[in-house]
Amino acid sequence: MILSLLRYLQGYLYIRIVGYSPERFINLCKHHRITLWGMRANERAYEMYISVKGFRKLKPILKKTNTKVIVKGKYGLPFFLHRRRKRKMLFAGAILCLALIYGLSLFVWDIEITGNYTRTDEQILEYLEDTGVVHGMRKGKVDCPGIVKDIRKQFDDIIWVSASLEGTRLKLAIKENSDRTVVPKDSTKEATPKDIVASKDGIVTRIVTRKGTPVVTAGTEVKKGDLLVLGKVDIIDDAGTVVNYQYHEADADIDICTTQTYEDEMAATYEEKSYQGIGRKRVFLKFGDWKVTLGFLKNNYEHSSYLCEEKQVELLPHFFLPFLYGIESVKPYTIKETKYSDEKLKEYLSARFSRFCSELEKKGVQILENDVKIYKGNTVVRASGTLTMIESAIEFRDTQITPIEKMSEGELK
Amino acid sequence: MKERSEHPSWKMRMAQAADMPKDVVLGVPVLSMLGREELYIENYRGILEYTEELIRVQTKKGQIKVTGCRLQISYYTNDEMKVTGCVKTIEYGD
Repeated sequence: MILSLLRYLQGYLYIRIVGYSPERFINLCKHHRITLWGMRANERAYEMYISVKGFRKLKPILKKTNTKVIVKGKYGLPFFLHRRRKRKMLFAGAILCLALIYGLSLFVWDIEITGNYTRTDEQILEYLEDTGVVHGMRKGKVDCPGIVKDIRKQFDDIIWVSASLEGTRLKLAIKENSDRTVVPKDSTKEATPKDIVASKDGIVTRIVTRKGTPVVTAGTEVKKGDLLVLGKVDIIDDAGTVVNYQYHEADADIDICTTQTYEDEMAATYEEKSYQGIGRKRVFLKFGDWKVTLGFLKNNYEHSSYLCEEKQVELLPHFFLPFLYGIESVKPYTIKETKYSDEKLKEYLSARFSRFCSELEKKGVQILENDVKIYKGNTVVRASGTLTMIESAIEFRDTQITPIEKMSEGELK
Repeated sequence: MKERSEHPSWKMRMAQAADMPKDVVLGVPVLSMLGREELYIENYRGILEYTEELIRVQTKKGQIKVTGCRLQISYYTNDEMKVTGCVKTIEYGD
């Protein structure tokens, strides 16, 4: 394959050797390292292919062996071009094509982002656009280390970025922080004193205080907004009187047993689409806002779905061109009102309920019991009930600063 | 011409003892065939005769005669030649 391509590029000839001793001619060619191929023998004459370079060296050999050479055919690119040497526009077109490909290869036509889970491509692309990195920018202006630095600065949860240029594609590999560790608060900042209050009604089942004064004990029934831990600690002297207060940001583990109602409903019927007919298709080629289409999409369907698939032209791997191509199609459908079966309804509602539960559990909530039941109506099916769970339902509130009653000097004495 | 002895030559024995590639040391021809359609010949000196039915090749250790039909030399270089066609016999001669 490669050999034949090389031969084509260099040009080759089909020759016929006639004379007294063609075998000797062949052996001399071999001796002079002239490659021959596709040799055919017929009636004391041999026909074979020879490269142009080899053909130029034949003269002494022909003389020595007293043979004659007849050129029967010329093949390859040099001969092809020579035959078309007067067709100037062809050459101009070829040169223009090469120049265009070279010109287009100087720009970035594709930005590929991999490794992002929570940050969407659009978010990152939007930010890159603000910093001047866009599709169609000059490759020379792409500053990979700068992009890496900017992304790291802008997004806290991205812990590693690598930017590289491959062909006309800018590749961004990103690693997000999957551990979700809480960023430690700035310890140098003076914390404002805070109380812990209940954010829901319930019964306290466990309380472990690290900072502050606990006001409730396990078993206390609390209402929303009730004080649980005071951010103020009394300083008591030997006599048992309060001489001063220390203020903290209260810190405690508090579990509160709470109840929550669960309500979910869904329609017992749904619209089923049934596709009929073949619809219409249209192929297109897009360059920026400019679009060439082939076919018609115009229709008078009552309901139809529109589907568009587009792809970017890739000349070589990683060498993208700013052209998009694809197919648009419109398919008509009719709507039929269909009822869900009982099993399906039950399945959907339980799936939704278990998703709700697992989301609660993700937040650290422990579900003790639930009495959620499914009630079936004519048009609507409802799942409702209450959940009893243990959660850390707390909120922070600023501590009221109590002024210290200054004792008069006389009292001290 | 002198009849070749049945015993291997001292060169052959040396090559065998030293475990050396014999085609290099002795300069004997190497023939490899793929089915009966493709024949590769290495270590040859030149072609003596070539028609569609017969190819005679000179090597260091004598002649090789290949007969068949539609014989064609696909390529012919300094190191190797490839013969395609339908090979019927391969004969060795002095």
